[in-house]
Amino acid sequence: MSVYLLQTVNGVGIGMLYFLLAVGLSIVFGLLRFVNFAHGVFYLLGAYFCFEAVRQGMSFWAALLVVPLFVAAVGWVAEKTLLRHVYAKPHEFHILITVGVALIIQELVIVQWGPLGDSVAVPTGLEGVVMWGDFIYPKYRLFVIGVTAGLAVLLWWVLEGTRLGSAVRAGSESPEMVSLLGINVFRLFSLVFALGAATAAIAGVLAAPIRGVEPFMGIEALAVAFVVVVVGGLGSFTGALVGGILIGVVQSVMSTLWPEGARLMIYVAMAAVLLLRPNGLLGKGG
Amino acid sequence: MNRRDLLALAAAGIAPMSLSRVASAQATDGIEFGAPFPMSGPFAVNGKYGELGVRMAIQRYGTVIGRRLAYSVFDTEAKPATAVRKVQEAAQQKNTKFFVGGILSPEALAMGKEVHRLGGVFFCYSGADEITGKECNSATFRWPVPAYGAVAQTVRPLIEAQPKAKRWYTITAQYVFGEGMLAATKDVLKEKGVELVGNSYHSLAEKEFSGYLTNAMAAKPDVLVLLNFGTQSTDALRQAISFGLHKKMTILVPWTSGLEQFQSLGAESTEGIYFGAQYWHSVDSPTNRELITQVTRELKVTPNYTLAAAFICTKCVIDAIAKAGSTEPKAVISALEGMKFEGLTGQEQIRKEDHQVIKDYYLLRGKAKKQMKDADDYVDVVSSGQSFLSVEQAGCKLS
Repeated sequence: MSVYLLQTVNGVGIGMLYFLLAVGLSIVFGLLRFVNFAHGVFYLLGAYFCFEAVRQGMSFWAALLVVPLFVAAVGWVAEKTLLRHVYAKPHEFHILITVGVALIIQELVIVQWGPLGDSVAVPTGLEGVVMWGDFIYPKYRLFVIGVTAGLAVLLWWVLEGTRLGSAVRAGSESPEMVSLLGINVFRLFSLVFALGAATAAIAGVLAAPIRGVEPFMGIEALAVAFVVVVVGGLGSFTGALVGGILIGVVQSVMSTLWPEGARLMIYVAMAAVLLLRPNGLLGKGG
Repeated sequence: MNRRDLLALAAAGIAPMSLSRVASAQATDGIEFGAPFPMSGPFAVNGKYGELGVRMAIQRYGTVIGRRLAYSVFDTEAKPATAVRKVQEAAQQKNTKFFVGGILSPEALAMGKEVHRLGGVFFCYSGADEITGKECNSATFRWPVPAYGAVAQTVRPLIEAQPKAKRWYTITAQYVFGEGMLAATKDVLKEKGVELVGNSYHSLAEKEFSGYLTNAMAAKPDVLVLLNFGTQSTDALRQAISFGLHKKMTILVPWTSGLEQFQSLGAESTEGIYFGAQYWHSVDSPTNRELITQVTRELKVTPNYTLAAAFICTKCVIDAIAKAGSTEPKAVISALEGMKFEGLTGQEQIRKEDHQVIKDYYLLRGKAKKQMKDADDYVDVVSSGQSFLSVEQAGCKLS
């Protein structure tokens, strides 16, 4: 198998994780017009809660179910007590308060778990690799691709095929109109914010056995999430999916074509999209 | 104390402790040390342990030549420009003359030049050959074995131990340290008639290594060498293990950041992997035994490389101040030059001509978990020795 084909497959795997990381950020912005710089710490919390749950004897599978709910609760509380008070203010306030929340949570993680990174074992049954000729791919990464693909379908259905999704989509167009229709917009905001936190937490849980946990992983995740939503289009679910996979494939293929610039190229790709399509590949016109 | 408590100590203690110590140093005409470390970002872990190493040395001595010792730590953010600015601020605002730190080579090179310009003394522990080579200066000293020696003491014995391993592949962090390690590796492989079948560079910000590992897989090497440092080598190794590469090829990390890397990875990931190390806590030397006693008593942890290196660098400067009987930088530099001392790895000496400490380097091999005698007993020491470029080869002309 050609190394470029291998890199493309690998890039899809990376990209699916990037999608999961970014989709919450995108949905929250789409509905709330809220720039959430604390999104990375939900990923961080997901990874660390998974680490702690497994250390305390919980199975990884249980952690995959429980941790996102727990982080969603953290997001819900943060939204209700802090963030909703600045929705109406300029974006500078959003940035200020979410960066503050992110730094506080990051430091709390350090106080609780220490500055060192740690490892989370790959769940039983998913250790080892799959071989196609010379190509080796970890079973766990294949599992991550499958899970994120399933979650993408589920999220798409929730947003496109349910009453809740209709309200979210309508709310992103005109919150006032949705409110006039008798829907509690603030509850909707809280729910969407919690959903965004939960998706980031799922990404954190799934990433933990691949990358381990370390206190600064949220910063890197946030940077990647922003690249993905800018490429895909702010507020677009499909854009996050396309953007995530595109960025993953670019990063992976460039690891062969121009290894030293692979990291740089994800930002070059973002700049190129901004130049050619300022609203992102699938973003709505401004 | 567990790692959580250690962090609480490190994180909570840094600012108030250093500030109060600065105040007391100024009030009592004390001697101020600057500890420039990356305290944020990907290398913050190393910085936090570095700070603890300086603290251990300062606490042990308390005073020298009748003057109270103090230190303040400042965050270089692992960026040369920030590091230089912080050094300037410390020199101007606190009259700091002695600096210990500089974990990453680019920041160490930049700070060394600045401390030299300001007329101070800088003891660092970065790896690039240039620090005591072409970029050397009279103010800068370096404790660890540089890239050339680290490669010579790891790649060379591994080639001899595995004569059938003829295809090697490297993954290299593209900055001065990685470039130095790669150049030294190429030289040894060429000399030994071993083929370097490929190299993948990566940036200093990289966290995702699966693409580079795919390149390595495609090249079908017998040995994979990870020429990066800190969390990057941890991430690269963790991902290499998940790809099952340790079952298909030998993996060598010629420059491990030490015990914390093993604690982060766990014995399951380090079993059978070869590592190069500047320091390992099981080394039997009087100074190391004293350090272990102090650190386990005060911090309840086993010292790792970053902590130990910061400790010994600080100790060397304090010993030189005592020997010189002065805090005049030129007198301290003269005292340091050629100084022989009982170091962490046994007898060590500072080479007068380039300010490089001559000491052992170790080749380690990860143990199986069931063979570990205690929680930190991750490796067997395979071999150790000293390899250094001559002053002429290194190209150092002290200015």
